[in-house]
Amino acid sequence: MILSRLLTAFLLVFAGLLVLPADMASAQKQGGTLVMLVQPEPPTLAAYISTSGPVGQVMSKVYDGLLEYDFNLKPIPGLAESWKILPDGQTISFKLQHGVKFHDGKPLTSADVKFSVLEVLKKFHPRGGITFRDVTDIETPDPHTVVFKLQNPAPYLMMALSGYESPIVPKHLLEGTDIRSNKLATNPIGTGPFKFVEWQRGQHLRLDRNPDYWRKGRPYLDRIVARFVADSATRTAAMEKGEAHIGGFGAIPYSDVKTLAKLPHLAFTTRGYEMSSPHVELDFNTRRPPFDNEKARQAVAYAVNKTFVIENIWFGFGKPATGPISSNFAVTGLYTPEVKSYTVPNGLEMANRLLDEAGLRRGANGLRAEIVHDMTPYGEEWRRFGEYVQQVLGELGIKASLRYEDVPTWLKRVYTDYDFQLTNNWIQTLADPVIGVHRLYHSKSIRPGTVFVNSNRWSSPRTDQLMDQATIEPNPVKRAALYKEFQQIVVEAVPVFWVHELQFATVYNKQFKDLIVSPLGIFASFDRAYIDK
Amino acid sequence: MSGGGRWNYLVRRLLQAVPVLLAIAVLNFLMLQLAPGDAATVLAGEAGSASPEYMLQLRQQFGLDRPLATQLLFYVKNVLTLNLGFSFRHNMPVLDLIMARLWPTLLLMGVTLVVSVTVGIALGLIAAMRLRSWHDAVISILALVWYATPLFWIGLMLIVVFSLKLGWAPTSGMETVAAFHEGWRRVLDIGHHVVLPAVTLSLFYLALYTRLMRAAVLEQANMEYVTTARAKGLTERRILLTHILRNAVLPVVTMAGVQLGSLLGGAIVVETVFAWPGLGLLAFQSLFARDLNLLMGIFFLSTCLVIAINLAVDLAYTFLDPRIRLA
Repeated sequence: MILSRLLTAFLLVFAGLLVLPADMASAQKQGGTLVMLVQPEPPTLAAYISTSGPVGQVMSKVYDGLLEYDFNLKPIPGLAESWKILPDGQTISFKLQHGVKFHDGKPLTSADVKFSVLEVLKKFHPRGGITFRDVTDIETPDPHTVVFKLQNPAPYLMMALSGYESPIVPKHLLEGTDIRSNKLATNPIGTGPFKFVEWQRGQHLRLDRNPDYWRKGRPYLDRIVARFVADSATRTAAMEKGEAHIGGFGAIPYSDVKTLAKLPHLAFTTRGYEMSSPHVELDFNTRRPPFDNEKARQAVAYAVNKTFVIENIWFGFGKPATGPISSNFAVTGLYTPEVKSYTVPNGLEMANRLLDEAGLRRGANGLRAEIVHDMTPYGEEWRRFGEYVQQVLGELGIKASLRYEDVPTWLKRVYTDYDFQLTNNWIQTLADPVIGVHRLYHSKSIRPGTVFVNSNRWSSPRTDQLMDQATIEPNPVKRAALYKEFQQIVVEAVPVFWVHELQFATVYNKQFKDLIVSPLGIFASFDRAYIDK
Repeated sequence: MSGGGRWNYLVRRLLQAVPVLLAIAVLNFLMLQLAPGDAATVLAGEAGSASPEYMLQLRQQFGLDRPLATQLLFYVKNVLTLNLGFSFRHNMPVLDLIMARLWPTLLLMGVTLVVSVTVGIALGLIAAMRLRSWHDAVISILALVWYATPLFWIGLMLIVVFSLKLGWAPTSGMETVAAFHEGWRRVLDIGHHVVLPAVTLSLFYLALYTRLMRAAVLEQANMEYVTTARAKGLTERRILLTHILRNAVLPVVTMAGVQLGSLLGGAIVVETVFAWPGLGLLAFQSLFARDLNLLMGIFFLSTCLVIAINLAVDLAYTFLDPRIRLA
């Protein structure tokens, strides 16, 4: 019968395609191709205009920065082979490496650095305006010397010069053009260890080894391919099968990390996020009842059990937070644990007492108040966290209903309309408090329509003053003292409750070595990564 | 029906399509304005931080600071000149973005359509011929299960079984990205990758066509023309293949035509699970990114596609069943 023959033919074709060896490509992989999961797909490759995670993850291999950093958050040479800060803190001079070429063959000179900082980063980078605000001029006495002139000392500046945060871009391709629409955004040309080859949207992005890289002999890998896989279960499967070799920054769900790491070919690390230092928080709207009352906020802080949240919702990937500055800054002295602690054995009792004092007494039905608890739309953990907080608030007599919306809606609600009472959130406190922390507590950062700034709208003249002083204080000891007082005041007022320091997990294939070698982790250049056969 | 009649009909239908397209485009534009937040918010949200000046720059560049009426007028003018506009998020013309994603979508849709219609018709026919035998029972139960199982679950299970356990197929993607095959090896590689997503998507539609075909064959089998044919002394096989099949296939074709549009929607799930670089996933992502120009471009293209398919199905009827006339 024709039909059954047709059917058989179909099945045969399909079966034939199925049994093709799945690892046809393995012969070429031996040359050293790293397949990196990047989630989500970057919207652009203009790392000098967007600080979006995926953009940085890919472009940190293509663009270099003046500096790199070690795990103690100390600057080490990048494009700058050495540097000197004059005692007044207002002049910083860099000596550039010799023999550095852009991928189009043009040499890198001090003019490129000047142009990158003043004409590109300071004007178009989301954080560049803050990072370089005190840089009034850059002198270029010779092609290998760059001198930053500052109107105030800027101690945070030296923390923001990595290839991820402040990429150095080619002047000859950007000068005199519209920086935003320049085609460099989709056809990047940098000085980094890997050259951009192609970007198949929705599929992958290919970077090949730069044979003229200024660090002779490096990189070791022939190729890096970034793959975009929208479904988290499929990403996990791709890692398990060896089709992808590294996934970090949330690409692998927390629930799968430890299972994957049990496989013989995979492992995971939580290092390499020290320069993003993300916090999991509860953000209060301090201008709306009931959390306009400091005591009501403190009550929530006493009632929420940080360890429970870390262990049960984040699968153990976190460390209890104590305040607005991450303990990752302990190595630089800016962090202090000497602040009011809300982790006490009788937390619920304290919370109930504070709520009574705040005038939120239980009504006949046992309820003190009703609120809506928003959840940040970045995945399942946030819903479970919301459900936990809902229970805790319920025990305190606050009835919370949960609301989960999509990203643009939530952003508008929290950062433009301030139409919320309590939301969970995560914030990267970045490489220095001036860049990552001030924006969340300074009165000048209450800017409707701007995302991830001060949306709780709490501020005080004293903390503003402390932050302003710390911004220009070159002496690390004095600076630390300013931040100590700042942390103590903010923790007492608790406009935000810092639950834990989020640890991202990077899962990687063990045949690759030296992938995570700096606090920038997967946002570093991978010039040292190699395959161990 | 004469060839000239068909031609006139085609032209008339195409002319009627123009106001429909325009109305849909305006409706799309207005409905998308209801979504809170804009592309600048999302971009800044992804960046994790931005200064107010930066946000203002973005909105000016995207034209979001202009009044709604101006934006609408601009959009309609663009649509009329067949200019789909520019995606500021991707920094690329919308048409280029869509074209890059069109052929993977068409490949997946095409394979799915062919497999589901052919296999569905065959299975339905077998089930009807062997009514109440074990063949029928197995096929009917399978069809029910396939129809009722969520697509993403089927997809993930196929990955677990065929990729992870058996190692026969790749987990995801359209090509082995680390290899960069060329020529026939590339074709083979893509063929290897299309199997699991196409099977996943086909199972759902196949189930539908099987049930539809089975019912249609049973209905036709009781018609008088079948009795006549039998009385003429035709073999059962000939009756089935030349008489019943041709009539029974009509509802399946109708359904397949209608569903081709929905295939684009069902494909979103499959494209997500298998990281297939198609249009559905692009539409889904651009909605969450509030990349409205791109989204409207995809909607526009889908509208054109649905209109064209409906037209094609109407024309196909006249070939399958000469009794049907175009009016």
